[in-house]
Amino acid sequence: MGTLMKRVLIIDDEEDIREVAALALEATAGWTIFTAGSGAEGIATAVREQPDAVLMDVMMPGSDGPTTFRTMQQNPLVAHIPVLLLTAKVQGVDQRRFASLGVAAVLFKPFDPMTLARQISEALGWKEEPTS
Amino acid sequence: MTAKNEPKLDALLASVWERGLPLLRERLDILDRAARAASSGELTETLRMEAVEIAHKFSGSLGMFGHDRGTEIARKIEQILSAPPAASNRLDELVRELRHTLRIE
Repeated sequence: MGTLMKRVLIIDDEEDIREVAALALEATAGWTIFTAGSGAEGIATAVREQPDAVLMDVMMPGSDGPTTFRTMQQNPLVAHIPVLLLTAKVQGVDQRRFASLGVAAVLFKPFDPMTLARQISEALGWKEEPTS
Repeated sequence: MTAKNEPKLDALLASVWERGLPLLRERLDILDRAARAASSGELTETLRMEAVEIAHKFSGSLGMFGHDRGTEIARKIEQILSAPPAASNRLDELVRELRHTLRIE
């Protein structure tokens, strides 16, 4: 089984996390990946590339994940793109706060590179297509 | 999403880990400095905040490379540093344990 070809934008200020997530999604699902190191760069990339989803870190210098998400919601060019927040916060109160923002899902760091694509697909209801 | 790409992905992850070692060492050195400063009662707010940020980054990233224990230790370090006054002896011990777990002495 393979997942439909998707285009996903990863926004994270940590280079190794961007790189691991990109490698994982490319290698396990064959998706096309774009990356950005900040909220501002991420929004510009989202406007230009129109990805199927955005995977974004919560804690980033400058415009953090929730702020960047709210900015995207106010921009008709990208407001329709589902956003998944990535957080290393383990406290329930933080998790509920992020979920209440209206994002498509909240995923947790550290993620398992082998199952990240499946987590995203399940969160967004992406169906798998049979492959031979 | 099959296991057929697992060896390839493992090799790519190992390459990212190797490339990140210099930065990892720099960050561990900062945690060492923070632990020493805390034990002598001289932990400045600037160093504490820097160390909290590093511990948070470790807690969110080490597990991606299979270092689940490293993530657990980093979470404890982050918790201690986030609620000053830091438990100085415990902090020193945890940073040493983190280095040992990551095999970066």
